[in-house]
Amino acid sequence: MSAPATPPPALQELKDNLRAAPRRIFETAFRSGKPTTDRTRSTFIFSNVFLHLHSVRVHRWTLRWSTSMGLGIATTAAFLLTLITGILLMFYYKPYPEAAYQSIKDIHFVVPTGRFIRNIHRWAANVMVVTVILHMARTFYTASYRRPREFNWLIGMGLLAVTLGLSFTGYLLPWDQLAYWAITIGANIAQSPREVTDAVGITGWFDPGGMQKFLLLGSDSVGPEALIRFYLLHVMILPLALMALMSVHFWRIRKDGGLARPADADQRLGNPPGPVYPVFTEAPMKTYSLAAIVRGRTPAVGKGPENTVPSMPHLFYAELGVFMLTTLVCLALALISDAPLKELANPSVPENPAKAPWYFLGLQELVSFSAFVGGIGIPLLVLAGLGLIPYLDREETGTGEWFGGPGGRYVVRQALLVGFGASLAIEAFAIRFGWIREWYLAVPQLVVTILNPGTILAAVYGLYSVWLVKRYRSTRAGALGLFTCFLCGFLVLTAIGTYFRGPNWVFYWSPGDWPRH
Amino acid sequence: MEKNKYLLLASSLGALLLLIVAAQDSFRKPWRQIQSSGRGDEGPIPVQLRQITNANLRVGDRCVSCHVSMAPGEQSVAGAAIFTAHKPVVHDPAEYGCTVCHGGQGSATEEADAHGAVHFWPEPMIPVRFAEAGCGTCHAALQVPNREIFQRARLTFERLDCAACHRVDGRGGTIRPGGGGMEGPNLSRAGIAGYDKGWYEKHVTKAAKEQSGPWKTSFGTIDGADLESVALYLSTRVAAPALIEAKATFHSFGCLGCHRVSGAGGDEGPDLSRAGEKDPGQADFTHVAEGNGLDRWIAEHFRSPVAVVATSQMPPVAASQREIDLLTLYVLSLRRRELPGAYVPRDRMQATRFGQREFASDGATLFGAFCAGCHGPEGKGKHAVGGTTFPAIANPDFLGLVGDRFLKETIRQGRPGRRMPGWAKEGGLREEEIDRIVAHLRELGGTEGPAEDKWTVSSKPESGRDVYAANCSGCHGAKGEGGKGPALSNRVFLEIASDKYLLETVSRGRRGTAMAGFQEPSPTRRALARSEMESAVAYIRAWQGGKK
Repeated sequence: MSAPATPPPALQELKDNLRAAPRRIFETAFRSGKPTTDRTRSTFIFSNVFLHLHSVRVHRWTLRWSTSMGLGIATTAAFLLTLITGILLMFYYKPYPEAAYQSIKDIHFVVPTGRFIRNIHRWAANVMVVTVILHMARTFYTASYRRPREFNWLIGMGLLAVTLGLSFTGYLLPWDQLAYWAITIGANIAQSPREVTDAVGITGWFDPGGMQKFLLLGSDSVGPEALIRFYLLHVMILPLALMALMSVHFWRIRKDGGLARPADADQRLGNPPGPVYPVFTEAPMKTYSLAAIVRGRTPAVGKGPENTVPSMPHLFYAELGVFMLTTLVCLALALISDAPLKELANPSVPENPAKAPWYFLGLQELVSFSAFVGGIGIPLLVLAGLGLIPYLDREETGTGEWFGGPGGRYVVRQALLVGFGASLAIEAFAIRFGWIREWYLAVPQLVVTILNPGTILAAVYGLYSVWLVKRYRSTRAGALGLFTCFLCGFLVLTAIGTYFRGPNWVFYWSPGDWPRH
Repeated sequence: MEKNKYLLLASSLGALLLLIVAAQDSFRKPWRQIQSSGRGDEGPIPVQLRQITNANLRVGDRCVSCHVSMAPGEQSVAGAAIFTAHKPVVHDPAEYGCTVCHGGQGSATEEADAHGAVHFWPEPMIPVRFAEAGCGTCHAALQVPNREIFQRARLTFERLDCAACHRVDGRGGTIRPGGGGMEGPNLSRAGIAGYDKGWYEKHVTKAAKEQSGPWKTSFGTIDGADLESVALYLSTRVAAPALIEAKATFHSFGCLGCHRVSGAGGDEGPDLSRAGEKDPGQADFTHVAEGNGLDRWIAEHFRSPVAVVATSQMPPVAASQREIDLLTLYVLSLRRRELPGAYVPRDRMQATRFGQREFASDGATLFGAFCAGCHGPEGKGKHAVGGTTFPAIANPDFLGLVGDRFLKETIRQGRPGRRMPGWAKEGGLREEEIDRIVAHLRELGGTEGPAEDKWTVSSKPESGRDVYAANCSGCHGAKGEGGKGPALSNRVFLEIASDKYLLETVSRGRRGTAMAGFQEPSPTRRALARSEMESAVAYIRAWQGGKK
């Protein structure tokens, strides 16, 4: 007779532990337990390294579609799409001139769904450029850059620059004619300080333009060195920079108390429409312990949670909704339209017209009048102007409201007229009558550099906004005018550069009128 | 806040749907459907991407994903019209790939892209009816005569009825009754593979020995000229009969007078060495009727160059439809490909390394290839309305006056400032070739030149000024710069032409041209005295400057 078959205790323990392991792994990964109550949901968010970039609760104002239109999230979504598709493309892409072109052909023709993935990558990149600009416009028009969000505006500008850099470096990688000549043009824009150093006659020993171009290309012309450089920037350096900046950008939103909203947002919203699901299921005890130690004007300090709702699930629904919507748009575009791939790059057959990527065509249009002004002058002016906005406009009225501030919608409407009017007028004049160089062949280049459609347009916009500042006794009014004018000018110049410039940068009403060889 | 939920739901479903559509799209490629209808020896063939790769030729051709039976080892696949096997050729497609000969986009897997007549693909497929143009990618047929000589050779071959026993270019030859194959060997590749140079003697001996059969009944003696023709015909049998005929045609229209091909030719027009590679995407098709293939463009360009290229100075080519087709085929064949050493064919090697000519170097072919374009196929000259007059160089009066040295130097140095290039340097002709052209001119004109003479006029140049102004300047220009008549103040011309030549030309004129002899009166003017003519010649001579 033997005793009942009970395993020794140590083995039993091992068995139990093994059985419990899955649950334990889950519990140790998500220490707050299942997010079933508001309390656990909050803990879930701020104990997760990714989610804690969000605030735990979100103001109802933020969730209105008109507040942000989801543009920042759309940009992030587009970035994530390019990230995923980009990694997939890297499995096949070979960053060496002719092999690069051949590998794109293979992706296009042979790799399963390769064409689709490349199309998504291309479209998501373009969507990202568009949404990042729109996001900036939204932030500006709702005056959300004001205290305490000034520096986040600057980080946003950095993100804009990195986004354009990513898109530009990606442009070269297919190594086709389009890529080759667009990058050649882009590199020549980088070389544009030469116009001034040449005019002054110091290029021989001080040549920042040439240096800039050489730094970009690693050679005097676009070649294998440039391709490797652009590849490295495109797949590593810039994405890492972008992700770092993005994290700071998001984290600061939480630190700065969520999205900007009008001071009287609570009154305007009124009471919540019935009980908000999910409601508190426990007495709030230490929910705000983290928020409470944050100095400043966080929404929760000294206030009840009346007009806030838990981020989980309300904010998550909104974010995921925008994310999927962006995905949907990119997928649809990718199905409809193939990413371009022209002939293999051929340095001896220039494209005419050779055009930079579309978002630089406004600059290229200015470069056609003066390389320095288009390549360095105006971009620096715009960057400086944009960067200074939050530090010059220190007013309080209108924060968090569309077109808020003195003058408001009226100024914007007027500025639209001025912005479109001035840019169209000066372009029409230059296209119809030419410019100084066509009238007086021997005029010194410095005169053209100082006096050209680009500088005149900038001067008109500048004077107009100074006048607005005086008229409304408000920097915000001037900023509203200037920013609107800048957007108008950007649109007009980009459209002209994209649609109306043909061979030798001559104006044509449609590509059908272009002369053939 | 509920609406965010619905946004998420709707956009997620939409994205899912699009992903399904995209996946469907990707896995229902036409080549998969084509392959799924294929049947091999052991039932259905596996559906997979097929390609021919050749690292040396840098070829990776996926054409065989649809044209399956052209893939290595899959000749027996059947099931659809597209599975027709490649006709037997020297270059096995399984090794050489498809695009080397046919052009097109080898990496593509869809019909339009693969056949290459799409935007942004510079090398579309060569149309099937011009397929032999593909040979030009690597090969350079050598020593091709002009069309007349070539036709004569071919007709000789036909007349002698060699095709009764021999098969050539898919025609002729008889199978021996009761087995034993063809009566004579296939001669389609005699120009590449070579043939027994003593064939005629052997034929004669054999015919004498045999008592009956085809040797007795079919073979007869052949005379010397016919033997030469047969030899020429055999040397041009390189398995590309249409291309050879096309090249011969090209050598009859004097195209090389203005265009250079592989280093020989004039430079009035563009170098044509790679004209067959022109990217149709870079060509203007607005004035080309029907189609957008390069062949259409080239053919239309022959008919009316100015209509196709507005700035063209090329005169329309007076050729029949068939000739235009041949010329088009030849121009399409002007293409190149970088080849690794082992793949460079012998003919190309002989042309590039050892200086063998692609044109035959007899006088008639040279004249046809280089001179006929401007001076006419018989050397009668040409006058384009409102354009340059090209002298009638085969004119017996002219040839009777000039020595061979004059002709040779004129060809060698050309006429600077005029359309006539210096053929020794710019034109790339060799001394012996120029000699043969001179000899051919003599044949055309039928007159020997005079013995060289140093006789010169002794009149004072000033005295000839009025004579020249009154009688010569109308056609030759006030300063001898030329007009309807040739330029006289040309340095090279004056260096080469003797005074006697000038005087005799003035005196006797040149029949068949506007130049009438001044020793006879004409309805519009009196005859000139010998002294007047001499003074005019002295006046002309003075343009030469200090050197005499």
